[in-house]
Amino acid sequence: MASELLRGFRMLDLADEKGALCGKIFADMGAEVIKVEPPRGCSTRTIPPFLEDLPGSDRSLYTIAYHAGKKSVTANLDSPAGRELVAALAANSDFLVESFECGYLDSIGLGYAALAEKNPRLIHTSVTPFGDTGPARNYKWADIISWAAGGAMYMMGEEGKPPLQMSLPQAGLHSGGEASVASMLAHQARERDGRGQQIVVNMQACIVWSLMNEQAMPILHGDHIQRTGVFTGSKDTRRKMVYRCKDGHMSTLIAGGTLGGASTKALVAWMNEAGFAAQWMNEKDWASWVPGMFMALTERDHFEINDLEDRIQKFFMTMTKKEIYDGTLKRRILLAPVATAADIAGDPQLKAREYFVQVEHDTLGRKMTLPGAFAKLSLTPLSAPTRAPKIGEHNREIYGGLLGLTDTRLRELRAGGAI
Amino acid sequence: MSEFALEGVKILDFAWVGVGPITTKYFADNGADVIRVESLARPDVLRLAPPWKDARPGINSSQFFASYNTSKKGITLDLGKPKARELVKKLVPWADLVVESFTPKAMRNWGLDYPKLRELRPDLIMLSTCMQGQTGPNALYPGFGQLMAALSGFYYISGYNENSPCPPYGAYSDFVAPRFSASVLLAALDYRRRTGIGQYIDMSQYEASLHNLAPALIDYFATGRVLGPRANRSDRYAPHGAYPCADEDGHERWIAIAVAGDAQWGAMLQVLGQTAGDERFGSNASRLKNASALDEFVNSLTRAHNAYELTDKLQAAGVAAYPVQNCVDLHQDENLDAFDFWHWLEHKEMGPSVYEGLEHRMSRTPGALRFAAPVMGQDNEEVFSGMLGLSAEEIETLKKENVIM
Repeated sequence: MASELLRGFRMLDLADEKGALCGKIFADMGAEVIKVEPPRGCSTRTIPPFLEDLPGSDRSLYTIAYHAGKKSVTANLDSPAGRELVAALAANSDFLVESFECGYLDSIGLGYAALAEKNPRLIHTSVTPFGDTGPARNYKWADIISWAAGGAMYMMGEEGKPPLQMSLPQAGLHSGGEASVASMLAHQARERDGRGQQIVVNMQACIVWSLMNEQAMPILHGDHIQRTGVFTGSKDTRRKMVYRCKDGHMSTLIAGGTLGGASTKALVAWMNEAGFAAQWMNEKDWASWVPGMFMALTERDHFEINDLEDRIQKFFMTMTKKEIYDGTLKRRILLAPVATAADIAGDPQLKAREYFVQVEHDTLGRKMTLPGAFAKLSLTPLSAPTRAPKIGEHNREIYGGLLGLTDTRLRELRAGGAI
Repeated sequence: MSEFALEGVKILDFAWVGVGPITTKYFADNGADVIRVESLARPDVLRLAPPWKDARPGINSSQFFASYNTSKKGITLDLGKPKARELVKKLVPWADLVVESFTPKAMRNWGLDYPKLRELRPDLIMLSTCMQGQTGPNALYPGFGQLMAALSGFYYISGYNENSPCPPYGAYSDFVAPRFSASVLLAALDYRRRTGIGQYIDMSQYEASLHNLAPALIDYFATGRVLGPRANRSDRYAPHGAYPCADEDGHERWIAIAVAGDAQWGAMLQVLGQTAGDERFGSNASRLKNASALDEFVNSLTRAHNAYELTDKLQAAGVAAYPVQNCVDLHQDENLDAFDFWHWLEHKEMGPSVYEGLEHRMSRTPGALRFAAPVMGQDNEEVFSGMLGLSAEEIETLKKENVIM
């Protein structure tokens, strides 16, 4: 069931929440991903919330999600024997991803230079909050720190109120995804000339990249984006993004021109059927309506935008999320429900594509439903997810099978606290 | 001189707007030869969107477009015309990869879908990325990243409470999906290296983006619990959030702080000149329980401080903190500087301007923003004359017929 796509390649995953998604993507693509954990388990196993709010090393929803498809071995990096095991694994791996504080692996003899001596093919990817050279390289970190440092937080929220993070922290997922791309880039070079290298992923830079180029506004426009709640854009391109409806919220962005002319025309026609459109809206040539394109709104532009937004709001209050979404799909209007997990779970589109997958979790005594393949490949489908491993579940398979250690030796290592 | 990681890889790039171009930018900045096929009949909407160089709009002066299309070449062909499609087909044998991001029917209607293109290059790899995938009842959904961020659940988990959603800025999912599409495209290239076989990849931006919400979705399926907006509340850290600092030059300042455990809490109080008196804040569990009161208490302590100085002090005491930076601050951030993040490029019409650089650094084959994005049709001559061998006369005729435009 593992994908053929990266069959035969092995990744050692020593990353915490700053990089766990990297190994998940590699496992999805068919690589053998071996998660190396301390004997008491990786810190990600303690990330709340837990399934049914009951703590346990296999119950963190984060672990269930992002360690799916991986194997797990334990190695105590505080013990020389544990470090030897990791060095031996690295000598037998194609990729290594880690997110320790800068300099830590070097200090225990497991830095890139030491590992590459034995395995010059190794691609060693280090995920860091701020890179490995700046003054903050060993700063204390939590996901919100990257969200703030990279500029995403400042623009999220309402004026005068605290800037916001999402309820599900995102920075570590961006850096994990970036670690995956970077590792694959280095893989292309290695398969040409046989030589690996070290990669440093910078989480702050990953968040700056997610700002949709707003970083350029102060320099090019002398303007910078403030928190504007449900609005988007700079002061003269400002549009309302979120509207209330009967049972929640909807998102649409009214636009004309190439991007939105046809959509706004269709929305106005629908509003007109229900008696919500103004006469000027029916007469408007939406294909050439581009207020804000030239950065200065006229009084008329302001009137039109406000009138349209007001009437859309009134119109949406007469319907549910589903009614609006169904109607806009038919009419090809640029719009989406502000979907909850329940909406997503019930989406017919995802059902038709058999996106969600049930996975037996004997560790939890039940089946769990997980997101499935992030892409559909015609020849080598991505791996069907398998449950996250228990702590050290594959010690025997990996240390015995791959490194050739005997059961007696494994017992000694366990007794000595190395695994 | 080191080679680029993707030296020799060739991409014919029909993608537009966000996810597709950001995906091929990874390739272009790492040495792949990427030719973007554009047309004036239907220009990339990013070419029509701000920020503009010197706030002056123009089809060749959008920094938005320029940022996502560095290191690429550009040709102009109106694919609505049969002659343009014939020219495109002559380029397909050259390409290792074809990438496109139209709604699903476009390439099919032009006779440029995978089965057709594969006849021209049997080991071709092709990636189609659209909003909701190539199949299913909503395959033709015509959205873009802002809407996708709502549809895939990011808006709902953003806000102070149920009644005041505060979405993430911009087309958020456009910055999630490319890390998946670039990974899988590189892996497909490696599979072809090993086996000689190409394939077709259908990536729904919806399905890729949902992986950034996986824990919440798994929770819902298992227990029916729906994760909602909860301001900056955390289940792990208390305090956790953005706290006000002293204004600077009349502008608001905030500091992000996350405190894990009693030792850090003690250290933070010491930095702020306080002793722990309040029993509601005596343990991590009670701080989590009394998070609202805790926020008010912390607000009252941080308000007098300079955000950057307080960051230094808190970090020196082992507490996670950083100023909440705006887009002006980012350009002065010494950590981004130390990483050589910002990058200046000379653009044919826009002249010099500053770009987001790379998010990672490779020790041996580092990528680079090799050159600025193409102006419309910048590489027509090189491609139509140099690669396809058309005469100046033929090119002139095709221009007159608006095939090349």
